[in-house]
Amino acid sequence: MAAVEIRQKRALTLIALPMVLLALSCVYPVFFTINAALKTRKGFVLDRFGLASDPTLANFAQAWNQSRLSEYFTNSVVVTIGAVLTLLVVSSLAGYALAVLRFRGAKIVFTIILVSLMIPVQVVLVPFYRTMIALDLVNSRAGLVIAYTAFFLPFSVYLMTAFYARLPRELFEAAQIDGAGLVQVWWHIMLPMGKPALITLGILNTLYCWNDVLISLLVLQDERTLMVGIAALRGEYTTNVPLLAAGIVLAAAPIVIIYVIFQRQIVSGIAVGAVKG
Amino acid sequence: MSASTSPVLPRAPRRRLLGDDPGRLGLLFVVPALALVIVFRIVPLIWGFGTSLTDYDGMSAARFVGIANYAALTRDPVFLDSIVNMLILLATLPVWIGLPMLLAILIHQGVPGGKLFRAVYFFPAVLSSVIVGAIFNMLLRYDGSFNAMLKALGFSAVDWLGNSSTALFSLIAVQLWATFGMSLLIFLAGLSTVPSDMLEAAKLDGAGLFGTWWHIVIPSIRPIIEFAAVVTTIGMLTSMFGLIYVLTAGGPGTSTTLPEFLIWLEQGRMNRPGYASAISMVLFALMAGLAFIQIRIMSRNASL
Repeated sequence: MAAVEIRQKRALTLIALPMVLLALSCVYPVFFTINAALKTRKGFVLDRFGLASDPTLANFAQAWNQSRLSEYFTNSVVVTIGAVLTLLVVSSLAGYALAVLRFRGAKIVFTIILVSLMIPVQVVLVPFYRTMIALDLVNSRAGLVIAYTAFFLPFSVYLMTAFYARLPRELFEAAQIDGAGLVQVWWHIMLPMGKPALITLGILNTLYCWNDVLISLLVLQDERTLMVGIAALRGEYTTNVPLLAAGIVLAAAPIVIIYVIFQRQIVSGIAVGAVKG
Repeated sequence: MSASTSPVLPRAPRRRLLGDDPGRLGLLFVVPALALVIVFRIVPLIWGFGTSLTDYDGMSAARFVGIANYAALTRDPVFLDSIVNMLILLATLPVWIGLPMLLAILIHQGVPGGKLFRAVYFFPAVLSSVIVGAIFNMLLRYDGSFNAMLKALGFSAVDWLGNSSTALFSLIAVQLWATFGMSLLIFLAGLSTVPSDMLEAAKLDGAGLFGTWWHIVIPSIRPIIEFAAVVTTIGMLTSMFGLIYVLTAGGPGTSTTLPEFLIWLEQGRMNRPGYASAISMVLFALMAGLAFIQIRIMSRNASL
């Protein structure tokens, strides 16, 4: 029995080697990009892989100011915050109604919302765009907020409904007996009690909205969000790798920071869809 | 409705402005979610299906043409190329499932540094497809750094993105790099539900590492494997746009054009929405079956 255990230990250690190589491959492209962003154009051409010998922040300044990334950054921040807050309010209201109030037809509504999961934006690209034009929502940040809410909503409603369904009903009934109206119950009980799920959804939806490119390309045409800006920068500066790299670092930084801080919530949020939890 | 009962009687349920009728208010609370989903997804789906049966060109009045657009699709080499590319992509599914599953089992069984591995492997998955595409465009271009490294090591350079025989392979590899951490997390979550006494018992019986995996671990996470396969396949059909847009723009030729990217190209041309909608409907038909399975898993878990 001990021999088996030792044998397993040894096998696991041996197998860790390719795992380390894979881990390096996950990190190296990002390291390469940061390193390239710190080099001058000439410095990069002379030595692509070496550490930046004379690190400069000039590329960041140029990307931020001349390439208008500061403007795109503002657009992304405004739209992401707007969409995430809207998603949280709409999905917690819906989850409350579906799981706790259980009105007639709740099951049908829940099914309709889940079914819309199988309608990704590509499937409705043409009519969705024409709907946006008809409602005068194209080229407006509010329009993009609404579009994000519509497309990222079903998972949020699903999660809030599942979360609220597991809360003890006594909580809700006690509040009702105390004479609180249903709106107050939502505000004073459902929102605070739903905090763990709302935090998870807040983080995941922030990733989705910040990282989106397709919906943004379609809806915001005069202005740009950061990801559309980076895609354009890629086309314009194919030969100036350090400038492009600086833009990439600026655009990815907020998400990487969020990942480092909220790793636990992100991980559990992804697991929740997979396992009954 | 708003009249309150006498304040002399404490604890008596008071009626509020919006009423206490859970039925009516419940419906009201769900209206924003329902309206958004219906206006921006369900109605456009039906509208798109209608458009796909017409010869609408964006200007003159639409004429009903039946399945003419769908018939035209079967003769459109670009569309057929996109389907072939999609089938090649789908054929790589075992790698997309096997790699993260293997890694998850190893981490679960206590490879040294497992927590760190998990964090590092998942890291690319938080980066957007545009960021990933832009990074790998710098690396994989013909004059890019990967070729510079190959040449330094004595190999010859390959035009990874510009050669139609390697472009699709490169696209698939980059997307796998960017998403395998996501599946890894799903598998780890599933493995945490495998009872550890079963593993102990297997150890006592002297079962080897691989025997334990094959006979105990893998059968007990079968539902998770199914779930991961469905989610990954849906991702293959609908989450490649950003990467294609930045990494290859569908080229060279049509070698990295997938149906979802073709829809975008057609939408951009604006001159035959009927035809573009027909491609959308084909993608929807593929999605619907998969999503149906996913929804069944999800509504089972929500236990409504």
